[in-house]
Amino acid sequence: MERPGRKKKPAPLRKARTFYLFVAPWIIGFIALTVFPLGYAFWLSLTDSDGLSPKTHFVGFDNYLEIFRDPLTMSSLAKTGVFALVTVPLSILAGLLLAVMVNQRIRARGLFRALIYLPAVVPPVGAALTFRLIFDRDAGAANGVLSGLGADPITWLVDPNVRYVLYALVLWGCGGSMIISLAGLQDIPRELLEAAQVDGASYWQSFTRITIPLLSPVILFQVITGVIGSLQSFAPLLLSSGSLSGAGTVPQGNYMYMIHVFAQYFSASRFGYASAMLWLLFAVILLVTLVIIKVSAKTVFYTVEPEGTR
Amino acid sequence: MISRSYRWALYLVLLAVVLLMISPILWLASTSLKSPAEMASFPPTWLPSQLGFSNYVDAVRNVNFFGALRNSLTIAFISTTLTTLSSAWVGFGFARLTAPGKKQLFVVLLATMMLPGIVTLVPTYLIFAKLQLVNTYWPWVAWGLGGSAFLIFLFRQFFAGIPRELEEAAIIDGCGYVGIFWRIFLPQSWPVIAASVILSFTHAWGDFVGPAMFLSQDSTTLAVAMATGYVNDKGLPMNNLVAAGAVMYVLPVLVLFLFMQRRFVSGFSTSGIK
Repeated sequence: MERPGRKKKPAPLRKARTFYLFVAPWIIGFIALTVFPLGYAFWLSLTDSDGLSPKTHFVGFDNYLEIFRDPLTMSSLAKTGVFALVTVPLSILAGLLLAVMVNQRIRARGLFRALIYLPAVVPPVGAALTFRLIFDRDAGAANGVLSGLGADPITWLVDPNVRYVLYALVLWGCGGSMIISLAGLQDIPRELLEAAQVDGASYWQSFTRITIPLLSPVILFQVITGVIGSLQSFAPLLLSSGSLSGAGTVPQGNYMYMIHVFAQYFSASRFGYASAMLWLLFAVILLVTLVIIKVSAKTVFYTVEPEGTR
Repeated sequence: MISRSYRWALYLVLLAVVLLMISPILWLASTSLKSPAEMASFPPTWLPSQLGFSNYVDAVRNVNFFGALRNSLTIAFISTTLTTLSSAWVGFGFARLTAPGKKQLFVVLLATMMLPGIVTLVPTYLIFAKLQLVNTYWPWVAWGLGGSAFLIFLFRQFFAGIPRELEEAAIIDGCGYVGIFWRIFLPQSWPVIAASVILSFTHAWGDFVGPAMFLSQDSTTLAVAMATGYVNDKGLPMNNLVAAGAVMYVLPVLVLFLFMQRRFVSGFSTSGIK
């Protein structure tokens, strides 16, 4: 303890220094592991670097212009968009339906919740390997079912079918979405729903007029994280060779944007071009997030004002 | 009141969903017990014709299983302890101290949760490669010390709810903020610590891109070894070994989940994402 007589610094300043002592690890980490790498990638994106040869040339925005001329990049971006448009709404919808079901007062609902959520905790590599085994041409369960029904076996893990294996793999994890929606459902005051019942509202009416509006922030959260996750997905890689250097061999149907980035870095060694692709992804994610937030501003209902700091 | 027929329909639908969700895991377990001859026959058998665990022995021998396991555990341990401690430390700062610029920093912190991790991962790899630090554990030490934005947020929410009197009493007793954090706040926050340990452990255990990029093939983790291993001379996967390896890789996480379900779930519900 300092002697009171010698105390020169006012208390708030000391407190401010302590605050920065506490948040320093995060600030340093943020600068060193996020800001600096992003800046480095931006600098690389302006060069023709291949990561090895010491002489690299400044090429300005040529790499960015090439992205829009490269049909492979554009088609991979379109495929990623379709992937997000299919899997994100389906996952959220399935999760919401399941959440409503396991939120009823039924027996063994804890067990139902746990077992439906279980696939969401299986690590991505384990999940992808499992689906490779289910959809194997000869030893897979999918073709076992088909042959039981008298149908011809299907070669699942190549074009054009492998796309559906990917969709199934993602939807298998919809228990994650269920848990988030369930947490939202449990926060809805019971009195609100009971009051609606007393006033003669049908179950459907109170669901669409009370439950959905109160759940809208939770749904918005899932839309944003779902889209960001889809754009970065490397699950197609795990469904094929499972190595970064094999990114170029991913079947066309699953050749998504991130796979193309990996192929450019680790197969083609085009560091400059791949870095430009990363920055474009960054910009697209930022844009999509902003658009979703703007569009939803009128439809999402917050019970309390969203707060920054308390 | 829910009608009886409605209740039965509900059970039926839920049972079907559970079966659908669990069947892939059952198929994985069944495949892991099949002999190579059984794997080659078509149509596939639903259950292995005989119970034998030789696939598990082969799966351990065929790749450097214990080496990969050791690497997975080391990385999981480094990430879990450092991320949890650092996130608690930073979360305490955001919850209990004030300074100019705090509000803006907190907004930046929340924004980083939305940041696409993969975009920074590749350039981070290039930087670590330049520093000759790839194929070491240092990247995980660095990531751990930097904390996780989500966990910092979790700790902050928890610490913000602790009554101010506790802190003031400690200050009167001559305790500094570091002491207050260590002796009073951290020991109280075990529910968040448990959630943080589970979340960071499962994340580290499941991470594929990180180790695939930062570690060479002979010093990699189980996740990468499972994704790329068990290929025969012709370059084709040996699926019964893949299954046995995958069971051993997935099992710890499933066991952890079944025992600590509530913590997994509370990780989401206490996060205040709404």
